[in-house]
Amino acid sequence: MSLQILVLTVLDGIAYGSLVFLVAVGLTLVFGVMRILNVAHGSFYALGAYAAASLGLVLSAYGISAWFAYPLFIVAAVAVGVSVGGLMERFILRRIYVREEYLQLLVTFAIFMILDNVQRLVWGVQPYFYTEPLSLMGNVTIVGIPYTAYQVIFLPLVALFILFGLRWFLRKTLAGSLIVAVTEDREAATAIGINARKVFFLTFIIGTTLASLGGALASPTTSVLPGMGAEMIVLSFAVAATAGLGQIGGAAIAALLIGLGRSSAVFFMPELEVVVPYLIMVIVLLFRPEGLFGKTTARKI
Amino acid sequence: MLELKDLSVSIARIPILRNVSFEVQEGETIAFVGRNGAGKTTTLRAIMGLVTAQGSILLNGQAVDHVQAHERPALGIGYAPEDRRLFSAFTVEENILLPARVAQLTQDETNRRLERVYGILPELKEMAKRPAGSVSGGQGKMVALGRGLMLGTHLLLLDEPFQGLAPVLANRYAEALRALRDTDRSLSVIITESNPGLLKNFASRVITIERGEIESVEDVSKVEA
Repeated sequence: MSLQILVLTVLDGIAYGSLVFLVAVGLTLVFGVMRILNVAHGSFYALGAYAAASLGLVLSAYGISAWFAYPLFIVAAVAVGVSVGGLMERFILRRIYVREEYLQLLVTFAIFMILDNVQRLVWGVQPYFYTEPLSLMGNVTIVGIPYTAYQVIFLPLVALFILFGLRWFLRKTLAGSLIVAVTEDREAATAIGINARKVFFLTFIIGTTLASLGGALASPTTSVLPGMGAEMIVLSFAVAATAGLGQIGGAAIAALLIGLGRSSAVFFMPELEVVVPYLIMVIVLLFRPEGLFGKTTARKI
Repeated sequence: MLELKDLSVSIARIPILRNVSFEVQEGETIAFVGRNGAGKTTTLRAIMGLVTAQGSILLNGQAVDHVQAHERPALGIGYAPEDRRLFSAFTVEENILLPARVAQLTQDETNRRLERVYGILPELKEMAKRPAGSVSGGQGKMVALGRGLMLGTHLLLLDEPFQGLAPVLANRYAEALRALRDTDRSLSVIITESNPGLLKNFASRVITIERGEIESVEDVSKVEA
C-alpha cells in the first residue's frame, strides 16, 4: 500500500465523514431531546441539496459570482429547515409525541415518502449539477495528490464549527440549557417551568436545518437527484446508532470512523463499499448495544 | 391558600386518586402520609399539572386547572420530587439557578433568592460548583429542596424528602425545614411521608391517604395522642 493511497483514503474519509456528521448530528439531537427517530430527516438533506443547487444555478444564469453561493447555502438550509421542519413539528409531530414508537416511525416514514415525491414533482427526476463552489476554493496538494480545498479543508472546518458551536450553544446559552434539561428529564424540566413544547420545536428546527445544511454543502460534490435522502438517512442512522443515540460528540467520532471505513472499502475492497458503514455499526452494537458513547439506563417498572 | 376539590386521577384507566379534597392554609405545613402506592406522589404531580386530573385545584382562590404544567411554578409553587431528578449535566448551583433563569427573574431577585436558599442550606454553597451527578443521594435531596425554593415562594411540595436519608442527613434536612419555617411564615408546605412520626415536629395537620382516597385529616396533637 503506497503512502499516497493511504493519504487519499484518510482525506476521502474525513471529507465524507464531515458531511455525514452534519446530517447525523441533527438526527441524534432530535432523538436525544424528543425520543423520536425521524426517518424524514433524510428528506431535509435532499431538500437542502435541491434548494442550494437551484439557487446556485440561478446565480450562474445571472452571471453572479459563485462566491455568493456559500452564504446562499446557509440561507437555503435555514429556509428549508425552519419552514418545512417547523410545519412538520407544529402540525404532525406534536400530535404523536405521546403515541407508540412504531406509530411515530410510521408517521415520519410517511412524511419521508411524501417529501420524496414532492421533490420529484418540483425538480423532476433529472440530476442537478452545480459544482462551481467546489472548484472556486482551488486545490491543495498533499503528498503529491491534488485535492479540492472545499472537501479537505472547508467541509471538515464547517463540521468542527458545528460540533463546537453546538456544544457551546448547549452549555452556555439559556436556550441550550433548556434543551439539555428537557433531554435529561422532561417532567423535571416542566416542573421548574420549562415549556417542553417550545424546546421540542426549537430542537427540531435546529436538527432539520443541520440536515439541510449537510445537503446544501454536499450539493457541489455530487449530483443532486431523487433518492439521495434515503441513502443519507440510513447512513446517518448508522452513525447515530454507532455513537449512541443522543450523543453529539460521539456522532463526530462515529462519522469519522464510518467515513474512514467507507473510503478504505472504496480503495481496497470496492465491492464492500456500501456494506462497510453498517458492518461497523453491527460490530459496535454487538459489543456495546448502547453505542460507543451511549449510556445504559435503568428502566423503572 | 391551596384547595383541592374532588380531585380524581386515572392512569391507564386505573383510578389512582378518587375525589381527593383538602385545604392548606397560608403558612401551614401539612404532613401528607400513606403507604407506598396510596396516591401521595400522584396528588403532588396533579397539583403541578404533571398528570391529567378531574376536579379542581384552587390557589389563592383562583382555579389553576387550565394553567399548563410549565406555567404553574411561576405561580410560586416549588416542587422537590421523591427521586431528586437533578440535571446531571449541570453543577449544583446551575440546577438551583435554572428555575430562576427560566422564569426570567431579575439578577437582583435571583441573587436574593439564592442567598435565601444558601441561608437555609449553607452546605449547598460549599458544593455549588460540583457536578450535580456527583453528589450523594442525601445531598441531592438538599439540592432538590434548594431548587424548589427558588420559585416556591407560596407553596412548596416535598415528596418523601426523608426517604433513604442517613440519620445525620435526615436530621440536617429536618433542621433546614425548621429554619425555613422560622424564616418564612407565609410559605405553605406539603410534605409526603410514609412514616408520620418523622413529621410531628413540622406539621400542623396530618392528612392520611389510602388507596387513592383521603382517610383522615387530623391535627398533630391528636395523632401524637
